[in-house]
Amino acid sequence: MKQGLGIASVLFVLSLLLVVAAPGPAGAQCQLGVPAIKIGVQGAASGPHADYGRQIEMGATMAIEEINTAGGILGCRLEMKFMDDENKAATGVKNARYLVTEWGAHFMVGTDSSGVAMALGPVLAELKRIHFFTHAATHRLTEELVAGKGIQEIVRVSVPVYQDAIVAALIFKDRPEIKRWATIGADYEYGYASWSLFKDTLKKYRPDVEFVAAAWAPFLTLDFSPHVSAVMAQKPDAIFSTPWAGEAVMLLRQALIQGVFDQIHAWWQAMGGSVDVLEGIASEVQRDRFKGKLWATARYIHNWPDTPENKAFIERFRKRWARFPNYSAETTYSAFFIMKAAVEKARSLETPKVIEALRGMQIRNPGGLRVFRAEDHQFVYNVPAGRVMMDPNFPIPVLGDLKIFPAKDYYRHPPFTPVAVTK
Amino acid sequence: MDTIAFQGLIGLSLAMYLWLISAGLTIIFGVLRIVNFAHGSLFMMGAYLAFTFYGQLGLPFGLAILLSLLGVGLLGLVMERFFLRRIYSIDEAYQLLLTFGFILILDDAVKIIWGGVFKIPPIPAFLDGAWRVFGRPFPVYNAFVIAVGLLVAILLWALFEKSWWGRTVRATASDREMANAIGVNVPRVFSGVFMFGSMLAALGGAIGTPVRVVAPGIGAAMIIQAFIITVIGGLGNLKGAFVGSLIVGILSAYGTLFFPVFELFFIFVIMAVVLLVRPQGLFAR
Repeated sequence: MKQGLGIASVLFVLSLLLVVAAPGPAGAQCQLGVPAIKIGVQGAASGPHADYGRQIEMGATMAIEEINTAGGILGCRLEMKFMDDENKAATGVKNARYLVTEWGAHFMVGTDSSGVAMALGPVLAELKRIHFFTHAATHRLTEELVAGKGIQEIVRVSVPVYQDAIVAALIFKDRPEIKRWATIGADYEYGYASWSLFKDTLKKYRPDVEFVAAAWAPFLTLDFSPHVSAVMAQKPDAIFSTPWAGEAVMLLRQALIQGVFDQIHAWWQAMGGSVDVLEGIASEVQRDRFKGKLWATARYIHNWPDTPENKAFIERFRKRWARFPNYSAETTYSAFFIMKAAVEKARSLETPKVIEALRGMQIRNPGGLRVFRAEDHQFVYNVPAGRVMMDPNFPIPVLGDLKIFPAKDYYRHPPFTPVAVTK
Repeated sequence: MDTIAFQGLIGLSLAMYLWLISAGLTIIFGVLRIVNFAHGSLFMMGAYLAFTFYGQLGLPFGLAILLSLLGVGLLGLVMERFFLRRIYSIDEAYQLLLTFGFILILDDAVKIIWGGVFKIPPIPAFLDGAWRVFGRPFPVYNAFVIAVGLLVAILLWALFEKSWWGRTVRATASDREMANAIGVNVPRVFSGVFMFGSMLAALGGAIGTPVRVVAPGIGAAMIIQAFIITVIGGLGNLKGAFVGSLIVGILSAYGTLFFPVFELFFIFVIMAVVLLVRPQGLFAR
């Protein structure tokens, strides 16, 4: 009797262990023959731009939780490892090599910096892994590395620099009172390319405009006072500005105390519609210190599009993280569902088969309908730009007076012509 | 003409920020012969503590600055007393390694304590405005920074030239053994000087808080400029650090105005010219 009780106890404990150790509903019948689909995620998780990496991580985590709860991808559970690329190319490349060769990543997602993205491109071809870029905006990533050099492993889910520059030109071409433009630019390729595309596009519509001053702020500039005063000395009607994240917040606050918004008609802040920037300048917007002159973009904003998908996404995101998602959170979240759709279509994790499955893809995400462009592996979609303002429906500022441009109006098309990327 | 004068004034405020950082770096090198790479991290800690006291706990801005100075001073004391003191007599490469190690530790510490995302404190009401100077609005805040920088310069001059403590420090800096022989407690002087230099770094970080964001890594941006200034002025020379700060701050501002394409390396051109003419720096003996 005692022996029987012992055996029963052992069996009970073993069965308990089996229940605990058994894979969840997703892992039980993975049709791709792997214990889990591993996804390496990277972003800037430290420094003044760290909110973007954090948002990438939040978007990725939420997507994985939702996909796993719903049964995974073809029954396979998703697993993620997030790494801080510190916004440095060398760190990004080192992380990618580790994620694929040691950790065993099947896919990679994320990346904030264009510099990191450009360094990763050739490495991806060598590692034979798709990287879904969800922030890095350089046009060269898709135009040069995909369309030019044929690196198939690059796929971009977010909008490139076209939005920051071409959309601005399309908006301000209809403001005849603005004739004199100046830039306070990020002193690296992103700033130069944006200013160059903006000038070229605007000149086509408005030959009367002048570009009167340019000041370039290096990465990690803390004091923008000399840049602001230098461009204001030329009495511009409007400022085109590309420092982003914490640097954008500093620049705007330092411009405010120099009285800039009393002297200009408009300030264009590329990526100023990102949640971190909106939170950073919230008290100034509440007090109307920008006088309705601050315009901004973001590659997705929480108050547009007005669709059930987007509203539900915002609700789930806020419930999960107690914050609004910024564009890198949405693009990262959406990248996972794009990956899911492609793997399910390919029924394989092999890179060439998944790339083939992406061709012709049209998919609805919280940010709207995204269409895969095979020539440069860019997901094309409509994006908003607008005036920074308060809205009683939201606790932080939003972009209002929205201008939505159809993707065909602001995307560059192959064959691509080079853009001047020097100051 | 007004534009040039206005930009000069903006450059002066930039110079005074740089002066606060480079003064502490210079004093520490001048007395302890330590090249403190972690000086920028102490600047960052000053900013974080000021943000915590002022932006989070709601203490008055002046009190927040004072508390952040004390906090970073204490941190400096710990660094000197328990770490740097052990390597004075060995190869200088170890100073580099140790102080560089502190950069990594402090950067990670702030990420753990405050998170990686940047923080934005409000601008104190008394600094939020502008005066009309040379026909343009000049921020009260920038004027405040100029005033603090000049005040610190005068106080440092008085401290090192007129006070007993200053004379003791200078004596210790010129000859440690002799100072020790005549009864100066050299280790205590060293601790005091390192603490004092750390507090100057913290002052730079703290007074920058209202118009800057506070984030891990902001010290790295400042330390490079501070080193350039100390090299231009002459390592360990306070007068050199002050003049070096003025040169770098004001010429950077004019570089932004007149040579925006070359602004990034304008500062390095200045350093190269000075080193070609006087390799030991402008004021080194």
